[in-house]
Amino acid sequence: MNRRRTTWEWPVIIVVGAFFIIPMLAMTRFAMQRVPMSLLGRETIFSRWTIRGLMNTISDDKFQPAFFMSVRLGIVTVLLVLALLLPTVLWLHLRAMRWKILAEIVSLLAYVVPPIALVVGVSGAYRDTVPWIVSSNYGLVPLYAILCFPFAYRTLDVGFAALDLHTLVNASRSLGASWQQTFRKVLIPNLRTAILTTSFLAFAVVIGEFAISSLLLKRTLPTYMLEAQGREPQGAMGVALLLLVLTTVLFMALGRIQKKSPTSSSQEIRITP
Amino acid sequence: MGGPVGSRASTTSGRWSPSLVLPLLPYFTFVGLFLLVPTVVLFTKAFRPVTGSTTSAMVEAMNASNRSSFMFSLKISFFSAILGAIVGFLFALAVSRIERPRRLRNIVTGFSGVAANLGGIPLAFAFIASLGAQGLFTRVLYHNGIDLYGAGFKIYDFWGIVVVYLYFQIPLMLLVMLPAIDGLRPTWREAAINIGASSSQYWRRVGLPILTPSLLGGTLLLFANAFSAYATAYALSSGGSRLVPVQIRFYLQGNTITGKGNLGYALAAWMVVILLFVMTGYLLLRRRAERWRAA
Repeated sequence: MNRRRTTWEWPVIIVVGAFFIIPMLAMTRFAMQRVPMSLLGRETIFSRWTIRGLMNTISDDKFQPAFFMSVRLGIVTVLLVLALLLPTVLWLHLRAMRWKILAEIVSLLAYVVPPIALVVGVSGAYRDTVPWIVSSNYGLVPLYAILCFPFAYRTLDVGFAALDLHTLVNASRSLGASWQQTFRKVLIPNLRTAILTTSFLAFAVVIGEFAISSLLLKRTLPTYMLEAQGREPQGAMGVALLLLVLTTVLFMALGRIQKKSPTSSSQEIRITP
Repeated sequence: MGGPVGSRASTTSGRWSPSLVLPLLPYFTFVGLFLLVPTVVLFTKAFRPVTGSTTSAMVEAMNASNRSSFMFSLKISFFSAILGAIVGFLFALAVSRIERPRRLRNIVTGFSGVAANLGGIPLAFAFIASLGAQGLFTRVLYHNGIDLYGAGFKIYDFWGIVVVYLYFQIPLMLLVMLPAIDGLRPTWREAAINIGASSSQYWRRVGLPILTPSLLGGTLLLFANAFSAYATAYALSSGGSRLVPVQIRFYLQGNTITGKGNLGYALAAWMVVILLFVMTGYLLLRRRAERWRAA
């Protein structure tokens, strides 16, 4: 039909696009080029690019423990979230539909209690009774799981809703499969996309989480980065860039998986930084 | 449908029978222990007075200096939500109307997924590198005669934080709005044109009213998003920001010395109260927005 005023779209896309690309370019330059800002010009733009700053930081004694701590926390959190939510959402869809609304509202509570309030409340409630939660590194896991519930619940809920659950379960059970077998061989393969989406998002949240781990004085990747910024700004910037690339790769992989089976995701829902 | 396992009949009968509720216990218990109990404790402590005072910390948390901190947080959330919503909506509209490079849409949504989830320390670093006092973009502007820092701009101050927040607000709005815009069916437009509406009339009378719940809901989501954000502002300001979350940390770290620990709890409690209203509004609007999407 009328295609007369289609001129404003590209300017908007280009300006917004520039806003998104410039910080990334600036970050890359800062992380990898050893030319002071005041000397940067046409002649020096390609000189002295190096990854030495990044390498120095990666080989730093404190980097690897922090990095692997974050990775381990990510993995354990993903497992905990799935272990808690998969059976619950399955049961809600199978037998207890009328509890669904309550379960969903409960999952969303983490949006109302921001990470800073959550950590303050948890340390107020358990510092004297269960000090493990505040003192141990893995005490972060339950809090991270709570942070993940809003999007994890929704993703799995949508995933289960897309299945003809009763027929699948009935067929499997009437063929003599146990509940365990049904779960492992029928439900999990069918929920692959939802499970992977949940896992990726949860992992991405944990690996970048700062508020809680910083308040509980834990050495995770983000708290390490902020601390390293003072000593070795370039290296810290390099690690941040690395984290960003890692997240991007995770999300690209996620996008590819979702494209194969488009049972809508909950990307709009996220955890606040 | 139905059969021996999980037939419809069994979902309606016996809603309180133990065998029905038992499998749900781990989940509800977990949330109870790690979210509800902490929140209750938070409010209990928040209503107690600060050492050496008789008024509840909840009241004290609204005294002049803390109120200004709340106003600062609320204003940042408000401006970043409004600007993010406007730019995000326009961006989503632009992307949805461009057809030629068909990959554009995939690239933009893919990138938005990353950027909306980006936050915290890397984002702060990226903006220090580009808009900090010695940032790349700051220098480029400077050489072109625009002295940002001379004009009073600071990356860790009000407008600096708003600009940085836009980096995750705009993509989040795009992710909220794209499905809503896709939900505008071409037949509605054709119907409007057929009975003599102009393009702008269609937008004013049909398009925007249908998108309004999504727009308002998205704005509220962005507001909540900015309001509870912590890491980015903390890193930008090296821990010295006036934002409420950073103030909470300040009170709680010094609580043994100052005896003002309860004030930290009270500030956190006020945050929860504000977010409760905002998120309830968001969820109601989202439900309304989804009315147009089904089949």
